[in-house]
Amino acid sequence: MTTPLLEVRDITAGFGATTVLHGVSFDVPQGSIAGIFGLNGAGKSVTMKVLGGSVPARSGSVHFRGQDITKLSPEKRVAMGMGHVPQGRQVFPGLTVEENLRLGAYTLRRKDKKRYGPALNGVFDRFPILAQRRGQLAGTMSGGQQASLAVGRALINEPDLILVDEPSAGLSPVATLELDEVLQAVAHTGVTMVLVEQNIAFGLSLVDTAHLMQTGTVVHSGPVGELDDQTLATHLGIGRVLQAAAGSALAARQAPPVKKGSRARRPA
Amino acid sequence: MGQVLVLGLISGGIYALFALGVVMVHRGTGVLTFANGEVGTAGLFLAALLVDGWTIPVPFIDNPTLPALPWALGALAAVAFAALLGCLFEVLVVRRMGVSDPVAVAVATVGLALFLLASELQIFGESPKELAAPVTGGPTIFGVIVTPTQIAGLLLAIALGFGLQAVLRRTDFGLGILAAAQDPAAVRLVGVPLSRISLTIWGAGAALAAIAALLVEPTVGILYPGYASELYVVGLAAAVIGGLNSLPGAVVGGCVLGIAQSAATRYLSDLHLPGLHFVVVLVVLLVVMLGRQLLPELIKRMDTAPSRAAEVSA
Repeated sequence: MTTPLLEVRDITAGFGATTVLHGVSFDVPQGSIAGIFGLNGAGKSVTMKVLGGSVPARSGSVHFRGQDITKLSPEKRVAMGMGHVPQGRQVFPGLTVEENLRLGAYTLRRKDKKRYGPALNGVFDRFPILAQRRGQLAGTMSGGQQASLAVGRALINEPDLILVDEPSAGLSPVATLELDEVLQAVAHTGVTMVLVEQNIAFGLSLVDTAHLMQTGTVVHSGPVGELDDQTLATHLGIGRVLQAAAGSALAARQAPPVKKGSRARRPA
Repeated sequence: MGQVLVLGLISGGIYALFALGVVMVHRGTGVLTFANGEVGTAGLFLAALLVDGWTIPVPFIDNPTLPALPWALGALAAVAFAALLGCLFEVLVVRRMGVSDPVAVAVATVGLALFLLASELQIFGESPKELAAPVTGGPTIFGVIVTPTQIAGLLLAIALGFGLQAVLRRTDFGLGILAAAQDPAAVRLVGVPLSRISLTIWGAGAALAAIAALLVEPTVGILYPGYASELYVVGLAAAVIGGLNSLPGAVVGGCVLGIAQSAATRYLSDLHLPGLHFVVVLVVLLVVMLGRQLLPELIKRMDTAPSRAAEVSA
């Protein structure tokens, strides 16, 4: 049995006197897309922040590529091959698109400057809109374009794992569709991804494995193919309308046989 | 008029150097620092100790006298000491304040300024001291003898203003500084070492203050506790005039204030107004801030006026 790319064990974390995570555990195999779902306050984003290193774990451990990274700073985790598409996209508004991408390649350029040119061209090939607007200030772009930039900025460093936190938050339905295409395209690269998403239908259409959270713990983990709308309703307490939407997303995912690590089933 | 310009540019260069330090720290951290004037003074006292071979009070040692070093070595030690003070403040105070409001960190810089002022008074007393100028003489421009340190102050301010601007835009570390002020959390998530950026900024801002203090001292001729802080206040105003985030703007702001003060001294000295230098700073600051608010509105009105006239005639 191969070691998972990311192993999260019994993580507890919080702020001040408040403990938000109470023993979170899950694995993310190489090449898979893991989704973390839950209602507001379930601890999804705090889990992502613990994985990224911006919130310290009070106990438990996080192993990345077999190494214990629990105490490492966010910068060192990025240098080890972790990429981020943070909540709210967090592009640098006063920098141009190209400057944002160059900053995204900070560790890559420090390792080998020659790899930056091809990496930049790779991002521009994948997101032509970024090539067209390379000199535009990121803060003047639309939400969907900023989402492309945030994903491009994470990809340019050639990470092994990308943490994507609430990518559809604040986006219009059209921009969410564009983002879906972007993330589907990223999934085809074979990069491992951990996705936190409030929009369950949108998230389920992307992931291989779903981890459902309630009040700071993972209450269900399993392949999306084995997830039914009743499980969603039980663990997430979602309403009928949302349940129907999530159910249809599940039906769409369950139609073809789910094969781990394969991205061919998804339309490009 | 030529004299006014020359004298204005001489003091403007010094204000610009102080303002560059203000802008560096503000641009990278969002914090307005009030400490760097006194940090520059502390560096200057160290230079004076080393260059003049002062006898300093040290417990348990009878009248220890330091060997006199050349001015350049003393200046180098002053800049290094100021940079060290800036870095220590970052490590011991700024870093421990975490993600505090920049206003809270600004208040902490006032604390550092007061601590340094009190230390200087305790060690060196209130009476003014002297530091021998590294070189004397210089060319006469419009009847004003301009010393080499005055020329160096202005040229260094211009070179640093435009040079640092290029460094910020063209290097990865510079881009990291620009991005850090916009979103420090996101900077860490792209792998840029935020702590190193912060350390560099605070160290560089303090070093710039020491350079400014060293270059202005030969013109003033004396140094005393709080000496550079008076000039630093004008540097702060110059940075605000330049837009607080623009390094070339800080140089322009410094020169504008220098020339305005020089003109006021030349043409208004007969009024015998107390604190004329600072009144000028206040007036220029008000004019620039009001202009910045009113000018866009004025341009907008001028743009819409012809179209309204066309509508009426139609």
